Amino acid sequence: MADMPGDFWSGWIMVLTLVSAAVVGWLIWSVYFSPTPHEPEEELNEPVWDGDMREGNAPAPMWWFWLILGATVFSVGYLMLYPGLGSFSGMLNWSQDARVSNAYEHYQNQFQPVREEILATSLDDLQSSSGRMNTASRLFARECAACHGRDASGQLSMFPDLTDQEWQWGATAEQVEQTLRSGRRASMPAWSGVVEESQLEPLVDYVMAMDGSDSDQMPGRAVYMTYCVACHGAQGEGNVLFGAPSLRDDDWLYGGDRASVLASITAGRTGVMPAFNDRLNDAQIRLLVAWLTREQ
Amino acid sequence: MTGMSLHKKLEENTGLLIFGILVVSAIGGLVQILPVLNQESLETPTGSTQPYSAVALTGRDIYIREGCSVCHTQQVRPLIAEVERYGPYSRSGEFVYDRPFLWGSKRTGPDLHRLAGKYSDDWHRVHLLDPRSVIPESIMPAYPWLEHAPASGVGDIQKKMQVLQRLGHPYTQEQIEAAPQQLEGLTELDALVTYLQQLGSAVSREEAP
Repeated sequence: MADMPGDFWSGWIMVLTLVSAAVVGWLIWSVYFSPTPHEPEEELNEPVWDGDMREGNAPAPMWWFWLILGATVFSVGYLMLYPGLGSFSGMLNWSQDARVSNAYEHYQNQFQPVREEILATSLDDLQSSSGRMNTASRLFARECAACHGRDASGQLSMFPDLTDQEWQWGATAEQVEQTLRSGRRASMPAWSGVVEESQLEPLVDYVMAMDGSDSDQMPGRAVYMTYCVACHGAQGEGNVLFGAPSLRDDDWLYGGDRASVLASITAGRTGVMPAFNDRLNDAQIRLLVAWLTREQ
Repeated sequence: MTGMSLHKKLEENTGLLIFGILVVSAIGGLVQILPVLNQESLETPTGSTQPYSAVALTGRDIYIREGCSVCHTQQVRPLIAEVERYGPYSRSGEFVYDRPFLWGSKRTGPDLHRLAGKYSDDWHRVHLLDPRSVIPESIMPAYPWLEHAPASGVGDIQKKMQVLQRLGHPYTQEQIEAAPQQLEGLTELDALVTYLQQLGSAVSREEAP
């Protein structure tokens, strides 16, 4: 019980609570059962109305007695069963922590069979089950759509399209699972200040023309082979290990126009995919992998 | 007999009656409030709870200024649905460096207490500047001015940290001296994103709920 008060305050609470309860008990007794509570005392000199009406000459109403007695009995019972009297944790040993973790455990157990079934099912079978795929697409809408869009086609020249086959971190089930679990952190450096100003334009020309057949003769190739080849490869094929995208296709995450390509080179790109290992359970991750790698 | 004479004494002596009323009405507070003020668990940081960095503290002030807590709570309640959606429920010791805490009471938007790491910094930026560019159905207002205002303009950071230090936050003198330098060159948007990216990160999700 980490949240219980210390010894002194525990005693303080107990004493004050029990003394108050005793005082209330005494009050009830003195009002209803004291032997001669309302004997007229001439010397009191109290005001008298309507001939015989003076303070204390009628008994307190009984509904009031039952109300206060009931409330007192209830609170004493409550303090015996539940935590409340200082550090006494109550005869039921109830705690909020335990209540939540028990309920959570019950909840988890309830779904355990379904989760185990999902984990034991092959990706192909998951992909051909429309029920499982519906669940996966709802999961995608909840967890992924904020960045990748409701239809998974990417957003804003910043969050990748997941409906094509050009995946910078790899599109196989293993690679997608790795991406989901650990996240990804791209690290294209900013080349302004490293690549000479005069070489930037030829480099952009070359990068944009890389899929062409005679591009090897272009002046930008020398610059490319100095700075870019390590990640993007000799032919611009890219490298999923570094998340370096292929530069040969028409697929440009950050935009394929001259200005965007130039901006990518000079300022760098450091896209981040958050890790979902702690946010989703294994079955949810498997469903998402199945959904993301399905034939479209 | 005794009951009646005590009654008489109380009723005829105003000072004693006032004193008696004060004693009776104070009992609830003496039992319920006073011990809590001395309860260790409310002053002990949970998990890796740290005082806010200069940048995060500035971000927090922007969060307060823009009224984020009017629509977003920062308390995951101990209920299954909330634990499942947001993560571990909020612990009291996570708020020891929150003055004031920003629990909020109304969720027009989602709870933000376990926001850390859910989205990338880039996403937070575009989302704060134009929420509907990433979430078409969002009703959150846009905060485009954050991009242009310098973070150092949000009050005197050293003064704030000194006041918090006096209230018991363990800032070192070096941290306070380095604060203005840390804010240099940052915009309000940077500071707010830094604040959002550390929200609720002190409790590990492994130990959920």
